[in-house]
Amino acid sequence: MESLLQQLARFSEVLAVSRTPHVSTWDPATVRRALQWARYLRHVHRRFGRHARIRTALERRLQSQWRQDSGSGPAPDPGLTNFQALGRCDLVLALRLLQNRALREAVWHALLQQVFPGPGVPGADEDTLQGRLAHLARRRAAVHVLRLHGYQESPVVQEDALLKTQAELLLGRLRERAGAQAEGPGGLLSGLWERGPQDNFLKVLAAALLLSPPSPRPQEEETGPGTPNTPGEGHHELLRWLLGKSDILAAFCRRLPAGVVAAVAGRHPELSRVYLGLLADWGRHLHYDLQRGVWVGAESQAVPWEELYGRFQSLCQAPPPLKDEVRTALESWKAQDGDFEVPGLSIWTDLLLALGTGA
Amino acid sequence: MAQDSVGLSSDYQFWMQKVSTWDQASTVETQQDTCLHLPRFQEFLRQMYEALKEMDSNTVIERFPTIGQLLAKTCRNPFILAYDESQKILIWCLCCLINKEPQNSGDSKLNSWTRGLLCHVLSAFRFDIREVGLFTQGLGYAPADYYPGLLKNMVLSLVSELRENHLNGFNTQRRMTPERVRALSRVCVLLITLPDFEPLVEALLTCHGCEPQEVLWPEFFDAVSEAFLLKKISLPTSAVVCLWLRHLPSLEKAMLHLFEKLISSERNFLRIERFVRDSLLPEAACHPAIFRIVDETFRYALLETDGAPEILATIQVFTRCFLEALEKENKQFKFALRTYFPYASPSLVTALLQHPKDIPQGLWHQSLQHISEMLREIVEDQTHGSYGGPSDCWFAFIHFGGWADVAAEQLLRSEADPPEAVLWLLAFSYSPRDGSQQRAQTMEEVKAVLGRLLKLLRSPGFSARDVQAAAGQSREEAPRPLECGPLIRRLLLNFLLWAPGAHAIAQEVITLMAPTREITHEITGFLDQTLYRWDHLCTAAPASRKLASELLTELRGQV
Repeated sequence: MESLLQQLARFSEVLAVSRTPHVSTWDPATVRRALQWARYLRHVHRRFGRHARIRTALERRLQSQWRQDSGSGPAPDPGLTNFQALGRCDLVLALRLLQNRALREAVWHALLQQVFPGPGVPGADEDTLQGRLAHLARRRAAVHVLRLHGYQESPVVQEDALLKTQAELLLGRLRERAGAQAEGPGGLLSGLWERGPQDNFLKVLAAALLLSPPSPRPQEEETGPGTPNTPGEGHHELLRWLLGKSDILAAFCRRLPAGVVAAVAGRHPELSRVYLGLLADWGRHLHYDLQRGVWVGAESQAVPWEELYGRFQSLCQAPPPLKDEVRTALESWKAQDGDFEVPGLSIWTDLLLALGTGA
Repeated sequence: MAQDSVGLSSDYQFWMQKVSTWDQASTVETQQDTCLHLPRFQEFLRQMYEALKEMDSNTVIERFPTIGQLLAKTCRNPFILAYDESQKILIWCLCCLINKEPQNSGDSKLNSWTRGLLCHVLSAFRFDIREVGLFTQGLGYAPADYYPGLLKNMVLSLVSELRENHLNGFNTQRRMTPERVRALSRVCVLLITLPDFEPLVEALLTCHGCEPQEVLWPEFFDAVSEAFLLKKISLPTSAVVCLWLRHLPSLEKAMLHLFEKLISSERNFLRIERFVRDSLLPEAACHPAIFRIVDETFRYALLETDGAPEILATIQVFTRCFLEALEKENKQFKFALRTYFPYASPSLVTALLQHPKDIPQGLWHQSLQHISEMLREIVEDQTHGSYGGPSDCWFAFIHFGGWADVAAEQLLRSEADPPEAVLWLLAFSYSPRDGSQQRAQTMEEVKAVLGRLLKLLRSPGFSARDVQAAAGQSREEAPRPLECGPLIRRLLLNFLLWAPGAHAIAQEVITLMAPTREITHEITGFLDQTLYRWDHLCTAAPASRKLASELLTELRGQV
């Protein structure tokens, strides 16, 4: 077992080097050995896929390795990060080497002969390296053809293929890191936020939170089995991190469209409570302009009435219990303000009037 | 070889021109043209590769000075790269361009250029959206990690859009216009065999828009049909039903494909059943429109082959599988049986539908009597009432071939005089076109043979010669072939299987009975069918079963 783990560590190094100029020192034998190694690890992947103990040990080693590497630079080397990656490590190695211009011409030719031996090679075609490389190229071309003809971005965040894919990738990484690291996945998430672009990051967060199963409501936890709060599902870490970052959370609630935030709030009660708090805060910053008969903000960043109304409207269209909670909140804020029924005195009275009884 | 190379050169010119046209403009017309030519172009690439791999790179450039241009344009065309195996063959062609021992800077330059093209094919069409690139890089993912997932999600997104279309018709924000659906079906022609696309193919087939006219591209149906028959894709039955309902040529092709498979293999009921089930035709036939077409095709096949036993066997197996599927779908009440057999009287169909297995053996003769009377009434009714005439009746009857076999067996297993109705049924099932006089003659003959066979059955011992005599042939000194029609042969075979005293001489009688290859073939078919039927009825006596299997093995060994 220990020797397997060592091999794994050594191969990770080879894989990391394969995309650097260092490969200029490689000769055909080096390339052949590297590919042999990859084939061996692919074999390990197939062999021990159902062997929980070995699988876990390998996975743990891969993750600690990856964390060490990713600590050093801004963009970690995308290499072997989980057990699944072992299944395609030969593919990744071949692609990197084929595309690495630093590889000398003669060495590159030798690589080409090994990777693309041509037709008539024994073994199921989909399973050979050349078959899988061609299949990947075909899929890439298919994505391109679809984007040009037929595919359109979806206004529904969780159905948009690009956002959904990014969300799945993010959740995957969070799952891998969950629990194993003392400080949790916060570093990764904060790094992504800082690196930007932030709007894309926020949308991916929303998509990820919508992909995950709904958080259990307190009363459901007591009565039924509900969704067990198992660690390592990714979205718990995500939600915890987001709730701990007030500035990012504010940006999340403010910059994403009303419908998206309402959908996420409907899934995750912790988030809906914070969102309502923010909305209350934004509402209190508006005052009534008597002359024009409208609610206006004093500062330029203030949330305009129309937006506030739109956000409440989305929430009121959400399925229960969220929509009832929102109404109750509005009623209670109205009561705190003096329970006036006349417009222009409390923003909550006016919002409730504008939303109507049926909304 | 010289001929081939001339052909290749002229093809080369043709494709060079095509690829240049496709390269210059990406209009709907050029795309259509591309999609239309992709299979042929792939074949050309394959031939090209076969020619190139025999030459060194210098010869390649000499023979095809513009090959670089051709391959470069091919590499830039996403349609070609997305089609079937074209990208792989293209890579092989590019590998042939590489000069293994570059002599000068020109060679090296060409190698470097080819290397660039190869990299392009492998990592073509990088996502040009900056955010996505940055995000995935930040997470430590390479494109190879997320392209499969991305493609899956794009397909799912399109599927959900199509379903929304289907459910809500025009009243939805995300309605897919018919033009978009059509365009999508067009690009799917080249992507069908990618397993990722199966849900989309299914959604396109099953989701009807509100348009009265077909929105899907005709070539899409052809491509799906071919991929389905060649097992390059797997589709749920509902999607296949939609394909066949929306595109009749696909159903015809499926039938032809089934016949081709049946013709190319030995007649064997288990194999026929496997082919029939495999074709999905029985399940799809639960839809009456499909059943009618399949059934009519069978009828034509019967007419064309003059009632070939292979076709008869296939119809019977098909009907059995179809009834099973119908029962599973519980559609008996959704469509009346009349819908499936409009040419036969409903009471006849109801009687035939009763599987012998579901009736106690003691009551079989009653059912036979009933079926026979109904058929006789229709056949002998000169006015031909509201349903079809004798040939339609017979066609309906042979779907449920089990009853004819039961009739033949019953005759030998009862000591009493053979009932007239059962004799008539047998005579009718063997020669439906006979006139009543001819049929009466046949019945007489059968009755006489039966009487003699039953007498043998009661005797303490008998020889092959005795059986020959019972079949109506004079007892001569030298043994000679036993000449009789298929109906008498069937009776004799049943006798051999059921009479305990006949087991020892069965082999000898069969040798006498089967002087020609054709008859051997017929007997093999009978034994195979009998074993298959017994398995389904669970009625065989162990000794009879054993004998039938032994005889079958023996006969198959002879052929």
